[in-house]
Amino acid sequence: MGELSIRAYRCISDYERLLGKRRRHTSSQGYDGSGHFVKKFLDILKRHSDYLVVSGYVSICSGRARGTEDVDILFPVMSREKFEMLFKDLTNNGFWCYQGDDHAGVHRYVKDMDSVRFALKKEMFPNIELIPIDESRKAQHFEFSRPQKIRINDFEFKVPEIEFEIAYKETVLGSEKDMEDAMHLRVFFSSGIDEDKLKKYKSMLRRGL
Amino acid sequence: MKTKTRMDYIKLYAEKLKEDNSLFRQQKMLIESQLQSSSQIFRSMLGDGDDFKQRARAYLRKVRMI
Repeated sequence: MGELSIRAYRCISDYERLLGKRRRHTSSQGYDGSGHFVKKFLDILKRHSDYLVVSGYVSICSGRARGTEDVDILFPVMSREKFEMLFKDLTNNGFWCYQGDDHAGVHRYVKDMDSVRFALKKEMFPNIELIPIDESRKAQHFEFSRPQKIRINDFEFKVPEIEFEIAYKETVLGSEKDMEDAMHLRVFFSSGIDEDKLKKYKSMLRRGL
Repeated sequence: MKTKTRMDYIKLYAEKLKEDNSLFRQQKMLIESQLQSSSQIFRSMLGDGDDFKQRARAYLRKVRMI
């Protein structure tokens, strides 16, 4: 599994040092100072499934100064029984699901390859968009099988190869926000980007992989 | 670097961020303020009572998020 550049690591570590030590929330709900939202979610998800954090959160973790309302996480589509365990673990540990309180009902979305969303109890945003994937989702399956790790103090999580993230934003998504994210990643990771790989991924994405 | 477009500023910011890690502190403040504002808006709108989920889902249906 690849790793991000040392220089970028240093920056990200600095960021997470700040983000990870979030101030205690004065409300009885939401952030509790024991770690931030994404870490809390991933700590639970990792007990049940493999995963990949994609899209805006990757850019924001590397310093992109823009807001976001959700964090996109890919996970392999799972059986009803496995999903029941994940769902119960999440709902017993501070999360609620937008789509419903019944794991069987929510699993129908997953089975149909539709995303489901989870937020901290009595909060709407930010939320996690949990996106089921299988081999039919070629681009997602491709990036899922080539993860890269970001370590941020004691918080380590998997993201796509930066070259793929840039290529996907520029070639497939292409909105103003995505092009800006891609530019940020290009500049921030400039010393570690493999330009040949980036070109290859762009070409592959244009041909539908 | 002469900045003219929004993309120029994004490029400039990313370059400065590489040179000066302390800019992450400002970025954190921006994101934190957005999250806190968003949280407060929805708490005002939906409350934090036992019917939160019911009210939240009614809102989500209205904006076609579910």
